[in-house]
Amino acid sequence: MQTTPAAYATAAFTNGYEFTEGSGYQLPEYPFVEPPEIATGTLNRHPIVIVGGGITGLTLACALAQYGVRALLLDEDNTVGVKGASSRGICYAQKTLEIFKRLGIYERIASKGVQWSVGRTFAGSDEVYSFDLRQQATHSLSQQPPFVNIQQFYIEGFLVEKLLEGEAKDRLIDLRWSHRVTAFTQNADVATLSLATPAGPYTLEAEHVIDCTGSRSPFRAWCQAPVTAKKGDDRWCIADVRFKNPPPVERHTWIEAPFNEGRAVWQHLMADGVWRIDYQMPPDADPEVVSREDVVRERLNAQFGRTLAPDECEIVWVGPYAYRSECVDTLRHGRVFFAGDSAHVVSPFGARGGNSGVQDADNLAWKLAAVCQGRAAAPLLDSYHAERHEAAQHNVLVTNRTARFLRPADGAERLFRTAAIGLAKHHAFARQLVNTGRMSTPNCYTRSAACVATSVGSGQATQNTAFAWADGSPGTLSDLLAWAQGRLLLLVFDQIRPAVLAQLQALTLLCDVRGVQVLATDHQASAVEHIRDPQGHVRATCQAHGLPISAAWALLRPDGYIAATGEKIDAALVRAVATVLGVQA
Amino acid sequence: MTVQIKLDLHFQDADAFYERLLDAHQGLSPAQSALLNARLILVMANQLGNTALLQSCLDAARLTATDQL
Repeated sequence: MQTTPAAYATAAFTNGYEFTEGSGYQLPEYPFVEPPEIATGTLNRHPIVIVGGGITGLTLACALAQYGVRALLLDEDNTVGVKGASSRGICYAQKTLEIFKRLGIYERIASKGVQWSVGRTFAGSDEVYSFDLRQQATHSLSQQPPFVNIQQFYIEGFLVEKLLEGEAKDRLIDLRWSHRVTAFTQNADVATLSLATPAGPYTLEAEHVIDCTGSRSPFRAWCQAPVTAKKGDDRWCIADVRFKNPPPVERHTWIEAPFNEGRAVWQHLMADGVWRIDYQMPPDADPEVVSREDVVRERLNAQFGRTLAPDECEIVWVGPYAYRSECVDTLRHGRVFFAGDSAHVVSPFGARGGNSGVQDADNLAWKLAAVCQGRAAAPLLDSYHAERHEAAQHNVLVTNRTARFLRPADGAERLFRTAAIGLAKHHAFARQLVNTGRMSTPNCYTRSAACVATSVGSGQATQNTAFAWADGSPGTLSDLLAWAQGRLLLLVFDQIRPAVLAQLQALTLLCDVRGVQVLATDHQASAVEHIRDPQGHVRATCQAHGLPISAAWALLRPDGYIAATGEKIDAALVRAVATVLGVQA
Repeated sequence: MTVQIKLDLHFQDADAFYERLLDAHQGLSPAQSALLNARLILVMANQLGNTALLQSCLDAARLTATDQL
């Protein structure tokens, strides 16, 4: 087979960042390795093929590896991020950080990223309100902060490095860079992917294909997947800027910025002292013009009220955006699962894009692992659509509300926005109406077969709370979930009678569930596997969703969601396990 | 989701409130009046708070299709 690297290098970017400007970031590059199939001509069949090495695909790969599942990951490029458009997502919410904690990259994110605590919202030249997160009582039980700001490609790079840890022969994920999928078919038996690589084309087969290729996914057309879309006329231009004399580390939000013709502006800090500044543009703005470096500098001069010398601010990256919402109507099409932006696209308000991609991946990973390892029935995979489509629809709803506040229609919509802003300057209640984005929070699942609908709290996420292991050393719920290795985790609260203990032991053997006794007091433990929860945080995170104080047990899924709860250890518990996994009790 | 709302008399002093409402608008341009009304709606809505109650108020205010103009 002839090698054609030059032809590959000229291929167009598929994410549509044609007007990007700026000096850019240094991105790592990963080598193309000629796959053995090209020389041997063999047609290999893989249980799981992930297409797209962005934040969603890489999270899925890492999670599968942690569950001990093999997968192939194909990426059309040879780096993380998108060349020339290397910034993208910047804000990672608590649930996402908890997932990264479980995957072992949270510490790197926390030390590289930044957090801000003071936020100020302006309209015209007036401050509408401000807040300091340090002075607000937090009800969070999580060991992770509410959010961390960091450029997306750093997270992607950390995930790649995690996947490349250890000896090559021991790795469960086969990363194949510079692999573009050029054609796809599927039938009842198998999916077939045609690939273009610098070393030539080849074909492989897959039992499950996870499409993580982003908002311009070719799989939508290949699967003829219907998409519900809403295209607004709101245009924004994003500038990532590094200042010689940086502004204070505060998040500033202008609903009506006097230096941007009365339109909105966002300003917040990421890693490396780079500020993300988003400017709302007129609907008829020419994306090529507004993203020109000299035009960006004019906007910065207007914002800071003087002419900034070229060495005072470095323009790292610029990109124009048209905000829209899109959601694939069915997240599963036969052997194909849509995840991340290929499944849904929302406006960036509240950081609901990247965060929901990570949560899609975390949701699908344990189900794929359980089915591929023969611990659950195949229909468990259908709950991926039920849960994450509900989440996507919720995210579309929430972001469209923010978009409507930030670009109100003339007439009543603008009138009420003016009224809300005017009131917010004087009365605390009205600040809640000023909608500059609602931070991504874990979605709840109300129509999933993988949650026991009749059970209090089912379909709700727990937080990564702290506790003490039996030996007194500190642990967290994510450690406990990792300990369960992809199995359901049964938390049994407080004392267990000997007869019940015997039943529990039989159950954990029969149903492939990991059980642990959660002791609030210094009572003698009756189960070998037990933890100490003196502050009651483990119980509290399960109870946050209305679980009664008398609850005897909570069944947690590997993604930290509550599958079922109960007041008595009886047949209902056995039925709950069978319901979630779709197997006979 | 809607709930039953008071559609019979509940004012302590309806005439006095109506007078004060008109007084508050005195001397205002149509645009200023509209803005005052909008603020008033938001202040009052916050007093009610309850989602179902507010939905019922919206429904009651819309009247019927023929009355809308």
